[in-house]
Amino acid sequence: MIQLKTMLNCIDNSGAAVVECVNVLKKKRPATVGDRIVVVVQKQRNFGPDSTNNVGIANKVRRGDIRHAVVVRARKEMQRPDGSIVKFDDNACVLVNKSGDPIGTRMNGVVATELRGRQWSKILSLAPMHV
Amino acid sequence: MATSSPILQQLGCFRSLLRPQPLTQHSNHLGRRALSTVYSAKPEPQPLPANLPEQFLRQLPLRMRPDLERKARKIPPPPPAPQCKDPIGAVQEAQLAQLDPTGERMALFDYRRNPRSVKVGDILRVTFKNGDPFSGVCLSIRLRGIDTSFLLRNQLTRVGVEMAVKVFSPNVESVEIVQRTEKRKRRARLYYMRKPKHDMGSVENLVANYLRQKRSIAGKKAGGAAKRR
Repeated sequence: MIQLKTMLNCIDNSGAAVVECVNVLKKKRPATVGDRIVVVVQKQRNFGPDSTNNVGIANKVRRGDIRHAVVVRARKEMQRPDGSIVKFDDNACVLVNKSGDPIGTRMNGVVATELRGRQWSKILSLAPMHV
Repeated sequence: MATSSPILQQLGCFRSLLRPQPLTQHSNHLGRRALSTVYSAKPEPQPLPANLPEQFLRQLPLRMRPDLERKARKIPPPPPAPQCKDPIGAVQEAQLAQLDPTGERMALFDYRRNPRSVKVGDILRVTFKNGDPFSGVCLSIRLRGIDTSFLLRNQLTRVGVEMAVKVFSPNVESVEIVQRTEKRKRRARLYYMRKPKHDMGSVENLVANYLRQKRSIAGKKAGGAAKRR
Protein backbone atom coordinates (compact mmCIF):
# COMPACT_ATOMS: atom_id res chain seq x y z
CA MET A 1 0.00 0.00 0.00
CA ILE A 2 2.44 2.63 -1.16
CA GLN A 3 0.88 5.93 -2.04
CA LEU A 4 1.49 9.65 -1.82
CA LYS A 5 3.76 10.56 1.13
CA THR A 6 4.76 6.96 1.91
CA MET A 7 8.36 6.80 3.07
CA LEU A 8 10.34 3.88 1.71
CA ASN A 9 13.78 2.50 2.33
CA CYS A 10 16.02 2.54 -0.68
CA ILE A 11 18.05 -0.65 -0.71
CA ASP A 12 20.48 -0.05 -3.56
CA ASN A 13 23.78 1.77 -3.61
CA SER A 14 22.51 4.74 -5.61
CA GLY A 15 23.11 6.98 -2.60
CA ALA A 16 19.52 7.39 -1.42
CA ALA A 17 18.58 5.98 1.96
CA VAL A 18 15.01 7.10 2.50
CA VAL A 19 12.69 8.23 -0.27
CA GLU A 20 9.14 9.51 -0.30
CA CYS A 21 6.56 8.37 -2.81
CA VAL A 22 4.98 11.21 -4.75
CA ASN A 23 3.17 9.28 -7.46
CA VAL A 24 2.17 5.77 -8.42
CA LEU A 25 2.51 5.13 -12.13
CA LYS A 26 0.10 3.24 -14.39
CA LYS A 27 -2.27 2.54 -11.55
CA LYS A 28 -5.08 4.27 -9.71
CA ARG A 29 -4.46 2.25 -6.57
CA PRO A 30 -1.73 2.07 -3.95
CA ALA A 31 1.44 0.50 -5.29
CA THR A 32 2.71 -2.90 -4.26
CA VAL A 33 5.71 -5.05 -5.17
CA GLY A 34 6.72 -4.64 -8.81
CA ASP A 35 4.99 -1.31 -9.33
CA ARG A 36 6.80 1.72 -10.60
CA ILE A 37 6.51 4.88 -8.56
CA VAL A 38 7.96 8.40 -8.56
CA VAL A 39 9.93 9.30 -5.46
CA VAL A 40 11.75 12.21 -3.88
CA VAL A 41 15.03 11.44 -2.19
CA GLN A 42 14.66 12.55 1.41
CA LYS A 43 17.79 11.22 3.01
CA GLN A 44 21.14 10.47 1.49
CA ARG A 45 23.12 7.47 2.54
CA ASN A 46 26.08 8.66 4.55
CA PHE A 47 29.49 7.58 3.40
CA GLY A 48 29.57 4.06 4.67
CA PRO A 49 31.85 1.19 3.83
CA ASP A 50 30.10 0.88 0.48
CA SER A 51 30.92 4.31 -0.77
CA THR A 52 34.57 4.52 0.31
CA ASN A 53 35.83 2.41 -2.54
CA ASN A 54 33.68 3.99 -5.23
CA VAL A 55 32.64 7.49 -4.32
CA GLY A 56 31.21 8.19 -7.75
CA ILE A 57 28.45 5.68 -7.36
CA ALA A 58 27.54 6.89 -3.88
CA ASN A 59 26.72 10.34 -5.18
CA LYS A 60 24.47 9.32 -8.01
CA VAL A 61 21.45 10.95 -6.44
CA ARG A 62 21.12 13.84 -4.02
CA ARG A 63 18.57 14.94 -1.50
CA GLY A 64 15.58 16.45 -3.25
CA ASP A 65 16.06 14.54 -6.49
CA ILE A 66 12.95 13.24 -8.20
CA ARG A 67 13.43 9.72 -9.52
CA HIS A 68 11.54 6.69 -10.61
CA ALA A 69 11.66 3.63 -8.40
CA VAL A 70 10.38 0.07 -8.26
CA VAL A 71 8.84 -1.28 -5.09
CA VAL A 72 10.60 -4.47 -4.03
CA ARG A 73 9.15 -5.05 -0.56
CA ALA A 74 5.81 -4.07 0.91
CA ARG A 75 4.30 -4.29 4.34
CA LYS A 76 0.93 -5.11 2.87
CA GLU A 77 0.59 -8.84 2.50
CA MET A 78 0.33 -10.20 -1.01
CA GLN A 79 -1.19 -13.46 -2.04
CA ARG A 80 0.52 -15.91 -4.34
CA PRO A 81 -1.44 -17.95 -6.86
CA ASP A 82 -1.24 -21.03 -4.60
CA GLY A 83 -2.87 -19.16 -1.72
CA SER A 84 0.22 -18.53 0.35
CA ILE A 85 0.73 -15.03 1.67
CA VAL A 86 3.99 -13.09 1.92
CA LYS A 87 4.62 -9.89 3.76
CA PHE A 88 7.62 -7.92 4.87
CA ASP A 89 8.28 -5.71 7.84
CA ASP A 90 9.09 -2.63 5.79
CA ASN A 91 8.49 -0.91 2.48
CA ALA A 92 11.51 -0.78 0.24
CA CYS A 93 12.31 0.25 -3.30
CA VAL A 94 15.10 0.43 -5.84
CA LEU A 95 15.74 3.53 -7.94
CA VAL A 96 15.55 3.11 -11.69
CA ASN A 97 16.06 5.49 -14.57
CA LYS A 98 13.44 6.40 -17.11
CA SER A 99 14.13 3.35 -19.25
CA GLY A 100 13.76 0.98 -16.30
CA ASP A 101 17.38 0.06 -15.57
CA PRO A 102 18.44 0.20 -11.92
CA ILE A 103 20.58 3.23 -11.02
CA GLY A 104 22.54 1.40 -8.34
CA THR A 105 24.81 -1.51 -9.07
CA ARG A 106 24.32 -3.47 -5.87
CA MET A 107 21.44 -4.21 -3.61
CA ASN A 108 21.33 -5.22 -0.01
CA GLY A 109 18.26 -6.89 1.28
CA VAL A 110 15.71 -9.49 0.45
CA VAL A 111 13.13 -8.77 -2.27
CA ALA A 112 9.90 -10.42 -3.31
CA THR A 113 9.85 -12.96 -6.13
CA GLU A 114 6.84 -11.20 -7.64
CA LEU A 115 9.33 -8.97 -9.47
CA ARG A 116 9.98 -11.74 -11.95
CA GLY A 117 6.45 -11.76 -13.23
CA ARG A 118 6.58 -7.99 -13.75
CA GLN A 119 9.62 -7.70 -16.04
CA TRP A 120 12.01 -6.71 -13.26
CA SER A 121 14.29 -9.74 -13.54
CA LYS A 122 17.29 -7.44 -13.65
CA ILE A 123 16.53 -6.21 -10.14
CA LEU A 124 15.86 -9.73 -9.00
CA SER A 125 19.24 -10.88 -10.22
CA LEU A 126 20.97 -8.01 -8.39
CA ALA A 127 19.31 -8.89 -5.09
CA PRO A 128 21.20 -11.10 -2.67
CA MET A 129 18.08 -13.06 -1.78
CA HIS A 130 14.46 -13.33 -2.78
CA VAL A 131 11.39 -14.78 -1.11
CA MET B 1 -73.72 43.28 -15.03
CA ALA B 2 -72.58 44.72 -11.74
CA THR B 3 -76.12 45.98 -11.03
CA SER B 4 -77.92 42.86 -12.18
CA SER B 5 -76.04 40.25 -10.15
CA PRO B 6 -77.15 41.44 -6.64
CA ILE B 7 -80.73 41.34 -7.89
CA LEU B 8 -80.24 37.78 -9.03
CA GLN B 9 -78.75 36.93 -5.65
CA GLN B 10 -81.73 38.42 -3.93
CA LEU B 11 -83.98 36.38 -6.15
CA GLY B 12 -81.99 33.33 -5.09
CA CYS B 13 -82.70 34.22 -1.47
CA PHE B 14 -86.39 34.39 -2.20
CA ARG B 15 -86.22 31.01 -3.71
CA SER B 16 -84.54 29.56 -0.67
CA LEU B 17 -87.24 31.06 1.55
CA LEU B 18 -89.89 29.51 -0.60
CA ARG B 19 -88.44 26.02 -0.09
CA PRO B 20 -90.55 23.49 1.84
CA GLN B 21 -90.26 23.62 5.60
CA PRO B 22 -88.72 20.27 6.58
CA LEU B 23 -85.62 20.93 4.53
CA THR B 24 -84.88 24.17 6.34
CA GLN B 25 -85.25 22.39 9.66
CA HIS B 26 -82.70 19.89 8.52
CA SER B 27 -80.33 22.59 7.43
CA ASN B 28 -80.62 24.10 10.91
CA HIS B 29 -79.64 20.79 12.37
CA LEU B 30 -76.71 20.49 9.99
CA GLY B 31 -75.55 23.96 10.94
CA ARG B 32 -74.62 22.74 14.37
CA ARG B 33 -72.58 19.76 13.22
CA ALA B 34 -69.98 19.55 10.51
CA LEU B 35 -71.07 17.44 7.62
CA SER B 36 -68.19 15.11 7.93
CA THR B 37 -68.93 14.06 11.49
CA VAL B 38 -72.50 13.09 10.87
CA TYR B 39 -72.82 9.45 11.79
CA SER B 40 -74.14 7.20 9.15
CA ALA B 41 -74.39 3.49 9.62
CA LYS B 42 -72.46 1.26 7.28
CA PRO B 43 -74.78 0.16 4.52
CA GLU B 44 -75.85 -3.44 4.83
CA PRO B 45 -74.36 -5.54 2.07
CA GLN B 46 -77.11 -6.35 -0.31
CA PRO B 47 -77.11 -9.89 -1.59
CA LEU B 48 -77.09 -10.23 -5.32
CA PRO B 49 -80.45 -10.96 -6.80
CA ALA B 50 -80.64 -14.64 -7.48
CA ASN B 51 -81.65 -14.46 -11.08
CA LEU B 52 -79.63 -11.62 -12.41
CA PRO B 53 -79.90 -11.37 -16.18
CA GLU B 54 -76.78 -12.23 -18.11
CA GLN B 55 -76.34 -8.75 -19.62
CA PHE B 56 -76.01 -7.05 -16.22
CA LEU B 57 -73.23 -9.24 -15.00
CA ARG B 58 -70.53 -7.25 -16.74
CA GLN B 59 -71.48 -4.17 -14.69
CA LEU B 60 -70.48 -5.91 -11.51
CA PRO B 61 -66.89 -5.72 -10.25
CA LEU B 62 -64.91 -8.77 -11.17
CA ARG B 63 -64.78 -10.21 -7.70
CA MET B 64 -68.57 -10.22 -7.40
CA ARG B 65 -69.42 -11.97 -10.62
CA PRO B 66 -70.87 -15.36 -9.90
CA ASP B 67 -70.09 -16.76 -13.33
CA LEU B 68 -66.33 -16.09 -13.12
CA GLU B 69 -64.69 -19.19 -11.83
CA ARG B 70 -61.81 -18.75 -9.40
CA LYS B 71 -58.40 -19.58 -10.77
CA ALA B 72 -56.79 -22.35 -8.79
CA ARG B 73 -53.54 -21.05 -7.32
CA LYS B 74 -50.57 -23.01 -8.51
CA ILE B 75 -48.59 -24.47 -5.63
CA PRO B 76 -45.24 -25.83 -6.68
CA PRO B 77 -44.29 -29.17 -5.18
CA PRO B 78 -41.78 -28.95 -2.30
CA PRO B 79 -38.15 -29.23 -3.39
CA PRO B 80 -36.70 -32.69 -3.12
CA ALA B 81 -34.88 -33.39 0.12
CA PRO B 82 -31.13 -32.67 -0.19
CA GLN B 83 -29.22 -35.78 -1.06
CA CYS B 84 -26.25 -34.57 0.98
CA LYS B 85 -26.66 -32.88 4.35
CA ASP B 86 -23.36 -30.99 4.20
CA PRO B 87 -22.23 -30.51 0.59
CA ILE B 88 -19.32 -28.23 1.47
CA GLY B 89 -18.03 -30.70 3.98
CA ALA B 90 -18.33 -33.47 1.41
CA VAL B 91 -16.33 -31.48 -1.13
CA GLN B 92 -13.68 -30.72 1.45
CA GLU B 93 -13.39 -34.34 2.38
CA ALA B 94 -13.08 -35.35 -1.23
CA GLN B 95 -10.30 -32.78 -1.68
CA LEU B 96 -8.55 -33.94 1.47
CA ALA B 97 -8.70 -37.52 0.28
CA GLN B 98 -7.02 -36.44 -2.92
CA LEU B 99 -4.41 -34.08 -1.50
CA ASP B 100 -3.62 -35.90 1.73
CA PRO B 101 -4.54 -39.56 1.25
CA THR B 102 -2.57 -40.83 4.25
CA GLY B 103 -3.77 -38.11 6.61
CA GLU B 104 -0.16 -37.52 7.57
CA ARG B 105 -0.15 -33.80 6.83
CA MET B 106 -3.37 -33.28 8.73
CA ALA B 107 -1.94 -35.09 11.74
CA LEU B 108 1.17 -32.95 11.59
CA PHE B 109 -0.82 -29.77 12.09
CA ASP B 110 -3.91 -30.84 14.00
CA TYR B 111 -2.72 -29.58 17.37
CA ARG B 112 -6.13 -30.08 18.93
CA ARG B 113 -6.06 -33.87 18.50
CA ASN B 114 -2.52 -34.93 17.92
CA PRO B 115 -0.13 -34.27 20.83
CA ARG B 116 2.90 -34.77 18.59
CA SER B 117 1.83 -32.19 16.04
CA VAL B 118 3.45 -28.91 15.20
CA LYS B 119 2.85 -26.28 17.89
CA VAL B 120 3.12 -22.54 17.70
CA GLY B 121 6.63 -21.46 18.55
CA ASP B 122 8.20 -24.39 16.72
CA ILE B 123 10.74 -23.67 14.04
CA LEU B 124 9.66 -25.13 10.73
CA ARG B 125 11.21 -25.52 7.33
CA VAL B 126 9.02 -25.76 4.27
CA THR B 127 10.29 -26.88 0.90
CA PHE B 128 8.27 -26.03 -2.15
CA LYS B 129 7.98 -27.79 -5.46
CA ASN B 130 9.90 -25.03 -7.19
CA GLY B 131 12.88 -25.66 -4.94
CA ASP B 132 13.27 -22.62 -2.69
CA PRO B 133 12.72 -23.47 0.94
CA PHE B 134 11.41 -21.14 3.60
CA SER B 135 11.97 -21.51 7.30
CA GLY B 136 10.78 -19.61 10.31
CA VAL B 137 9.04 -19.61 13.64
CA CYS B 138 5.46 -20.77 13.50
CA LEU B 139 3.34 -17.90 14.77
CA SER B 140 -0.08 -19.41 14.22
CA ILE B 141 -1.81 -22.49 12.89
CA ARG B 142 -5.16 -21.91 11.29
CA LEU B 143 -7.18 -25.12 11.29
CA ARG B 144 -9.86 -24.81 8.61
CA GLY B 145 -10.17 -28.18 6.95
CA ILE B 146 -8.74 -28.01 3.46
CA ASP B 147 -7.79 -24.34 3.98
CA THR B 148 -5.56 -25.13 6.95
CA SER B 149 -2.52 -22.89 6.92
CA PHE B 150 0.34 -21.85 9.15
CA LEU B 151 2.24 -18.60 9.47
CA LEU B 152 6.03 -18.56 9.53
CA ARG B 153 8.19 -15.62 10.48
CA ASN B 154 11.86 -15.17 9.89
CA GLN B 155 14.38 -12.44 9.40
CA LEU B 156 16.24 -12.44 6.11
CA THR B 157 19.00 -9.86 5.69
CA ARG B 158 17.68 -8.24 8.87
CA VAL B 159 14.24 -7.67 7.40
CA GLY B 160 11.31 -9.47 8.92
CA VAL B 161 9.51 -11.71 6.45
CA GLU B 162 6.28 -13.54 7.09
CA MET B 163 4.79 -16.25 4.99
CA ALA B 164 1.46 -17.97 5.43
CA VAL B 165 1.47 -21.36 3.75
CA LYS B 166 -1.47 -23.60 2.98
CA VAL B 167 -0.78 -27.01 4.47
CA PHE B 168 -2.43 -28.98 1.67
CA SER B 169 -1.10 -26.87 -1.18
CA PRO B 170 0.28 -29.15 -3.89
CA ASN B 171 3.21 -26.75 -4.10
CA VAL B 172 4.35 -27.73 -0.61
CA GLU B 173 6.66 -30.68 -0.90
CA SER B 174 7.59 -31.19 2.74
CA VAL B 175 7.32 -29.57 6.15
CA GLU B 176 10.02 -30.38 8.67
CA ILE B 177 10.20 -29.50 12.34
CA VAL B 178 13.65 -28.05 12.88
CA GLN B 179 13.26 -27.37 16.57
CA ARG B 180 10.35 -27.73 18.91
CA THR B 181 9.59 -24.98 21.36
CA GLU B 182 11.08 -25.74 24.79
CA LYS B 183 8.11 -24.51 26.71
CA ARG B 184 4.51 -24.74 25.68
CA LYS B 185 3.37 -21.31 24.55
CA ARG B 186 0.40 -19.96 26.43
CA ARG B 187 -1.03 -18.24 23.38
CA ALA B 188 -2.52 -19.77 20.25
CA ARG B 189 -1.20 -16.95 18.05
CA LEU B 190 2.18 -15.47 18.78
CA TYR B 191 1.66 -12.15 17.06
CA TYR B 192 3.53 -10.45 19.88
CA MET B 193 6.67 -11.88 18.30
CA ARG B 194 6.44 -9.20 15.64
CA LYS B 195 7.38 -6.60 18.21
CA PRO B 196 11.09 -5.89 18.45
CA LYS B 197 11.08 -6.77 22.14
CA HIS B 198 9.95 -10.33 21.52
CA ASP B 199 11.29 -10.87 18.02
CA MET B 200 13.27 -14.05 17.70
CA GLY B 201 15.45 -12.70 14.92
CA SER B 202 16.84 -14.93 12.24
CA VAL B 203 16.47 -18.68 12.57
CA GLU B 204 18.76 -19.35 9.63
CA ASN B 205 21.60 -20.57 11.91
CA LEU B 206 19.38 -23.08 13.64
CA VAL B 207 18.11 -24.35 10.32
CA ALA B 208 21.63 -24.62 8.92
CA ASN B 209 22.67 -26.64 12.00
CA TYR B 210 19.69 -28.90 11.61
CA LEU B 211 20.41 -29.48 7.95
CA ARG B 212 24.05 -30.31 8.72
CA GLN B 213 23.02 -32.84 11.35
CA LYS B 214 20.45 -34.33 9.05
CA ARG B 215 22.96 -34.66 6.30
CA SER B 216 25.52 -36.32 8.58
CA ILE B 217 22.93 -38.83 9.82
CA ALA B 218 21.85 -39.58 6.29
CA GLY B 219 25.51 -39.93 5.25
CA LYS B 220 26.18 -42.40 8.10
CA LYS B 221 23.20 -44.46 7.14
CA ALA B 222 24.26 -44.52 3.54
CA GLY B 223 27.83 -45.35 4.60
CA GLY B 224 26.61 -48.19 6.85
CA ALA B 225 24.57 -49.63 4.07
CA ALA B 226 27.57 -49.48 1.77
CA LYS B 227 29.80 -51.32 4.33
CA ARG B 228 27.28 -54.07 4.80
CA ARG B 229 27.32 -54.67 1.13
